[in-house]
Amino acid sequence: MTMDTSASINVAPRRLIALTLGAAIVATAITFLFFLPAEYGYDPTGFGQLTGLNKIAAAEPVTVAAVAPAAAGGGSAARAAVSAYRSDMIDIPLPPDGELEYKVQMKPGDSLVYSWDVEGFENPDWFYYDFHGETWPRPEGEKAKIAEYEQKTGVKSSGSLIAPFEGVHGWYLQNQGGKPVTVHLKMSGFYTLVPPGEYGNLDGIQAGTK
Amino acid sequence: MGSMKHTPRRFWAGFCWLLLFVALVVLAPTAWAHGIGGKDAAFVAASTGPQILPFMYLGAKHMVTGYDHLLFILGVVFFLYRLRHVALYVTMFSIGHSITLLAGVLFGLNVNSFLVDALIGLSVVYKAFDNLGGFQSLFGFQPNTKAAVLGFGLVHGFGLATKLQALRMSPDGLLANMISFNVGVEIGQLLALSVILALIIAWRKTPSFTRNAVLANVLIMVGGFALIEYQLAGYFTNGRF
Repeated sequence: MTMDTSASINVAPRRLIALTLGAAIVATAITFLFFLPAEYGYDPTGFGQLTGLNKIAAAEPVTVAAVAPAAAGGGSAARAAVSAYRSDMIDIPLPPDGELEYKVQMKPGDSLVYSWDVEGFENPDWFYYDFHGETWPRPEGEKAKIAEYEQKTGVKSSGSLIAPFEGVHGWYLQNQGGKPVTVHLKMSGFYTLVPPGEYGNLDGIQAGTK
Repeated sequence: MGSMKHTPRRFWAGFCWLLLFVALVVLAPTAWAHGIGGKDAAFVAASTGPQILPFMYLGAKHMVTGYDHLLFILGVVFFLYRLRHVALYVTMFSIGHSITLLAGVLFGLNVNSFLVDALIGLSVVYKAFDNLGGFQSLFGFQPNTKAAVLGFGLVHGFGLATKLQALRMSPDGLLANMISFNVGVEIGQLLALSVILALIIAWRKTPSFTRNAVLANVLIMVGGFALIEYQLAGYFTNGRF
């Protein structure tokens, strides 16, 4: 070997193999005990559950495609509902710079039609909403699945939804203006209301049944 | 050094290595992927036209906080005793990563960032293994060390390129911003290198260096293996299980 500028130390071959394997084993232990549960939510050893490390990964929701599940009986135009039919009119007050989430519980394949508008707005660009669904209830330590339906600025919206999975589906509403507003929401279909104070309706919005 | 009279120097050296290791294992996972995130990412995505100093700053920040690049540099300079050699090897590394950083972004070369980052981890393992005389001792030959640093420089540059590409930079001012980022990377590398060199030169003067040089390179190898496994886990699961 020609004289190289980079010096190195001499380690006996056997010891070198042992050290290299040892390094790989320690790294693998770190991967399985820390990285997999904390970063990817994969916990084959149970160490993540034991220490709570898996909650780090669970805190980050996973966005899934917002696709309606296939109806029983294939691509039929008609689909049968799981939940009971109901109809509601809901008034949601929002103070200046106020924000909240209002969602309803639906089973996969359940559908609803809705229409809402905002009363009292100053500027239609100062109201933002995010129509989405989230898996709920879900076991502790499991990542939430999020399906995005519509994220927009505007003071009215109408449409329908077929729930892609079991969970709470509804709106994040944000009043970016300086005056209090009220959102008048009308819904009909197959869903159940989330009781005031529970996840999906943490702000305790009361519904008046029509 | 009166206060250290009763504490053996090797204790401090060992303590420093332990700290480095703990930082690597415990603190780093929050930023293991080592991308450009948060407000920096928002800034890059939102900026149009040349932004010389901001991009220089981001390049320098990426390097100074980039433990994957820093571990490799630590491995490279570990046994370089002369400043001339340090300059030579670091220049090889810079040439390598500048080529792929600029080419990667300008020609839109698409490389999977998990795989590139796994290769960066491999470069760390390679250099530490080389420092332990692994190739000579196990395979009876010594691969050219300068060529290896240049080659792995190319890999690190692809890593830098994928981080920038992920942010979808505006074509307006792209070249100026790219070059600014690259210049920033070199500045950040020099800053980090001076700290690494200062520490390692001080450490070499103590007897603990020869005693713990093997351990230090084994720990660098652990870091490299951990990087490889972390990135491969991400690659095979697309970031989720």
